[in-house]
Amino acid sequence: MTAKKARGKKKKHSYIWLSVLSVVLFFFVWWLFTEGSLGTIKENVLPGPIKVFQTLIDKFSNKNPDGATMQVHLWASLKVTLTGYVIGCLVGIPLGILMGWYEKADMFVNPIFDFIRPIPGIAWTPLFILLFGIGMLPKVIVIALATFGPALVNAYTGIRQTKEVHIWVGQTFGASKGEILRKIAIPSSIPFILTGMRVGLGVAWSTIIGAEMLAATAGLGYLINLCRGIYRPDIIIASMICVGVIGAALGLVLTFLERQLMKGGRW
Amino acid sequence: MQMEQTRKIEKNIITLEHVDKEFEKVKEGGVFEVVKDLNIKVRENEFLVLFGPGQCGKTTILNMIAGFEEPTAGTIRMKGEKINGPDPSRGMVFQNLAIFPWLTVMGNVEYGLRMKGVDKKTRREKAQYYIDLVGLKGFENHYPIQISGGMKQRVGIARAYCNEPDVILMDEPFGALDAQTRYLMQDEIIRIWEAEKRTVIFVTNNIEEAVYVADRIIVIRNCPTNVKAEYEINLPRPRSYIDPDFLKLRREINNVVDHTL
Amino acid sequence: MLERKAKMWQKIAAAAVSFALLILIWQLAAMNPQFSQVMPGPFAVLQKFFVSFVEPIGKNVMLQHMLITLSRWAAGFIAATILGIALGLTMGWYRGFEAFMRPLFELVRPIPTLAWIPLVILWCGIGELAKYVLVFIGAFMSIVQNAYHGAKSVDRTIVNAARMLGCNDRQMFFTIVIPASVPAISAGLQIGVASAWSSVVAAELVRSSSGVGWIVVTGQQNNNMTQILVGILVIAVIGLLLALLIRRVEDVLCRWNKRGR
Repeated sequence: MTAKKARGKKKKHSYIWLSVLSVVLFFFVWWLFTEGSLGTIKENVLPGPIKVFQTLIDKFSNKNPDGATMQVHLWASLKVTLTGYVIGCLVGIPLGILMGWYEKADMFVNPIFDFIRPIPGIAWTPLFILLFGIGMLPKVIVIALATFGPALVNAYTGIRQTKEVHIWVGQTFGASKGEILRKIAIPSSIPFILTGMRVGLGVAWSTIIGAEMLAATAGLGYLINLCRGIYRPDIIIASMICVGVIGAALGLVLTFLERQLMKGGRW
Repeated sequence: MQMEQTRKIEKNIITLEHVDKEFEKVKEGGVFEVVKDLNIKVRENEFLVLFGPGQCGKTTILNMIAGFEEPTAGTIRMKGEKINGPDPSRGMVFQNLAIFPWLTVMGNVEYGLRMKGVDKKTRREKAQYYIDLVGLKGFENHYPIQISGGMKQRVGIARAYCNEPDVILMDEPFGALDAQTRYLMQDEIIRIWEAEKRTVIFVTNNIEEAVYVADRIIVIRNCPTNVKAEYEINLPRPRSYIDPDFLKLRREINNVVDHTL
Repeated sequence: MLERKAKMWQKIAAAAVSFALLILIWQLAAMNPQFSQVMPGPFAVLQKFFVSFVEPIGKNVMLQHMLITLSRWAAGFIAATILGIALGLTMGWYRGFEAFMRPLFELVRPIPTLAWIPLVILWCGIGELAKYVLVFIGAFMSIVQNAYHGAKSVDRTIVNAARMLGCNDRQMFFTIVIPASVPAISAGLQIGVASAWSSVVAAELVRSSSGVGWIVVTGQQNNNMTQILVGILVIAVIGLLLALLIRRVEDVLCRWNKRGR
């Protein structure tokens, strides 16, 4: 009995070591072929991990070569993303609820929405640049459009899946149609709405990076694309790390919010 | 009656000796004793019913006999050999069906033979025999989603039999069926068992069902589980739910069993 | 049946009405000279769209642009499908492989596809290869993710059932894990199609000399709103068709899972 338990524990341990090994191996191989003794890859193609790390730290205080520090770019991207994201949610979620609840609205709006949905958010960028220049406004609109899709679809599905039984319960207690929507359908679709918000945030963050490559004077996408032109892959990779970390952090914030909201045990 | 007598002198096929099973409590730590010092001898070709209240670890016992789980202590032997992992010689009919939804009825029944590498013609013939036996003729090419719950359970039974195991373990196979289908399936399982003599270990939490189908009933104590009482059921088949002897046995067993909420 | 048909027609009528209304409003607005300076009317866009099949935009006519973009999409997407499913399933099923690969995958996953564009261009040049790689990255992540979860959440009792029927480890992977993961895989493919489509458009917007994304971005550079709108129209139509195509594939693959539901 003890022998078996020990075996189980040992197995778990060896898996953790395998994970550690793989990450270590990854960085070691990267280092070996760049900065290490087998360093055959040129720095302007793939810099080593140590160089990337140094650049990452350095970029938070060094304005070269693009005239701004990392945090300036970060803030520029975040500002646009969050503004556009909030607008996208504020338009998309209510519209989704409306379409889910009123069949008439659904019949008329859904076809147009279905037609627009396959257009990636990034594809709108040139249109709005042409209309509004390369300021903040066109990018905010693009982000709002990118967020809008997933936010709407999920709110719509959420309302649509409201259990009939729950609606009947409402009806037997004499609730009006509006009350049923407010007190039953919307609360029961909150998990879906939150999913839509999470997906939307991911799409928004990806889209801003692309949009900034097309037209911007600051922002992480701008920085990455600029450094391609001047062959500074160390800054590119350092910025990609920032993009990844911020994206993951934003996702975590939403997951946290979700947990807080769902704690009420309403589901 | 005569047959039942002869069966009783036959040898044991499976033995459980001083079997313990504990699960680690993931959250609180410590262990949870599910089975404690369990001793059972299963005779060859008998219809043995393990009967006990709700959540008392009957499934765990079956899983250990099947080889899906290892006992924490004690030994389980089949024909004198220690059981070490699942084996085609022990078939199982699962409570939640566990039939493969992506295969047709035929595909499910012939699956075991296909894994063994039996050629298509032979395995089709054999599978057809068992499909006919459980009464699913004509549904060979249906997917599980297209047939009813009772029919799905028939697929599970045919699938287990088609592999020709020595022992068939049935884990509350009719638990999810409606009452009418359940009665029907009880008759069916006896008919199949009489046509294809194999050892059956049948788990249920329904007294009537136990008395109706069993050669022998082992009443299981609630957690930690072990044997509380044992009954030989010598009522002639086919049995009747309203036969006075049947009702007497039913009442007797009802008085023994642990009643839990 | 009749009612359903009536409902369908009602829906089609509603769709037609709302599209007509949209076009009408747009056209009325375009009659205003101030508006039409920045935005052409719907008929101008449609006209340009049809003309572009004969009169080239840049070096190619519309059909060529479409085929160029589609071939980039297809090359990356097919590679991502094959490798992504293979990686996801093995990672989800074999614990040792999971322990080794998952950390690496999680390291890369938070980086949005579009952020890879410059690095990929730097490594692969501005030719076709860079576009294939970008489409690959876009589709790969979601396909791996879904296949992984599919293999990870194969029903335990289904696995047990297969083991008791005598299937070995290799057979387990090919006859149980793969089919059981098909619904999850096709969900991954649906997302993958969309993100691959978004990747190829983005890649063409950032750096290219042909394709539908290029049509849009040169429209911007030449102050040609009509061309931008034509490009977006084509992107929408192809995107819609690809989504429908993959939904059709799902219907076929998951027939056993959907029928009667």
